[in-house]
Amino acid sequence: MSKFGVDLEVHIASLRRYARALMRNSADAEDLVQEALTRAVARADSFQAGTNLRAWLFTILHNVHVNQVRSKAARPQEVDVDDVESKLVSPPRQEERVELREMMRAVDELPEEQRKVLLLVALEGLKYDEVADMLGVPIGTVMSRLSRAREAVRAKLANEGGVTLRRVK
Amino acid sequence: MNAHQGLGRVTEDELHAYVDGQLDGNRRLAVERWLAEDAEASRRAEDYRAQAMLLHEMFDTVLREPPSDTVQELSDRLKGRIAFNDNRPAWHARPLVRFAAAVMLVVAGAAGGWMGRGVDQQVAAPVAQQRQTLATFAQEATQAHRFYTSDERFQVELGADNQDELNGWLSKRMGRDVFGPDLGRIGYRLIGGRSLPTDLGAGAQYMYANDGNKRITLFVGAPQSGNQSNFSFTQNGDVATFYWVEGPLAYALAGRLSKEELLEIAKAVYQDVKAGPPRREAPPEQQQQQPQQQQQQPQQQQQDHPPGVQPISDTQKAKES
Repeated sequence: MSKFGVDLEVHIASLRRYARALMRNSADAEDLVQEALTRAVARADSFQAGTNLRAWLFTILHNVHVNQVRSKAARPQEVDVDDVESKLVSPPRQEERVELREMMRAVDELPEEQRKVLLLVALEGLKYDEVADMLGVPIGTVMSRLSRAREAVRAKLANEGGVTLRRVK
Repeated sequence: MNAHQGLGRVTEDELHAYVDGQLDGNRRLAVERWLAEDAEASRRAEDYRAQAMLLHEMFDTVLREPPSDTVQELSDRLKGRIAFNDNRPAWHARPLVRFAAAVMLVVAGAAGGWMGRGVDQQVAAPVAQQRQTLATFAQEATQAHRFYTSDERFQVELGADNQDELNGWLSKRMGRDVFGPDLGRIGYRLIGGRSLPTDLGAGAQYMYANDGNKRITLFVGAPQSGNQSNFSFTQNGDVATFYWVEGPLAYALAGRLSKEELLEIAKAVYQDVKAGPPRREAPPEQQQQQPQQQQQQPQQQQQDHPPGVQPISDTQKAKES
């Protein structure tokens, strides 16, 4: 008997976490996941049993995101009242710690291509080759983006009021 | 990642792969040797790990938030579409299951993301289906132990103040009679329990603590076919787990203890579950109809230790039947 159902739940939880980290807004993140799953359902036949379900789902999500960004750029920005409101009324409480706030800022300031790689690898635990496939870039590009992202974050945290990261020993 | 010329030479990519747990054993040793000598590189590795930890701290909260109805519905549909005709009962779709999936993810993400080593499945080669399933069950028990002993808020769903109620409720959830054995004689006091999904269907987790506030958990599940099995052992990080099948149920005992210490407790649990529930316990339906029937109630059994730990329920319970 397969663990399929639970696996899928886990992957979707992972997608939601990644989407939140990427969009930084729960409504946008949930929309992104919703759109990705809609597409996954429509293309379910193209998924081959026994292949990497997680990579398949993340790739779909990535493509949806790229398309969203593209179509947003093409059309004038409309501001949804609800979105603004949710941004205003729900400051993430876990940012209270200085360390976390600084980390959040450092990650936000990364170029998107680097931010994605860092989140996929360090938060979601994807393999480098999965990330390369998903983003459609060579693995060397993944590695250099990862390296630059980590060093940029490191430099920012070191500069921001001496936040120490010597926590892992 | 890249091919290597000099044996001792370590590349930048390998430092990352080391941090991310994506390096094979040989090269890991080379990196470790390098890190031992190069303080700057060692600091970088530490900082990268710390970054990953902060990311988890920032975003793992999402795992505890229920998905929107639409996302849940889509995920159920997707399951139906590509589930290899794996038409399992609807227990997947219930909030607790989703929550547990999130639990597994916290553990998997944390381990895979930055702990860096040896966290691949402990499951041995699939010799027999049952063994495989039991190993998975043991893993789930280990993960559940790790998660629910790590956070005060989530320790138990229902306290052990009334053990009949606790056992009756869990039996009902599992569709079989289960009970939390009394481990008072070896110094462990039952705190409470919770219902969790497992690969084998609904499961029950009983939590115990000793005077030193050391926690152990006993995970009970119902395998499809209950072939007896000997004690098996698995170690995942600092959590040790013994698991076995007795009668219609599978048991996994987990704790941050040495193998020897845990084995002693496992033996006590084994004896108790083999002997069956204490007489004070009545099957759930009888319990409701004639609660006064049990004449002998060996009260002292559970009352030796006052409940020193305040069990705190989380919010999952109210939503469930």
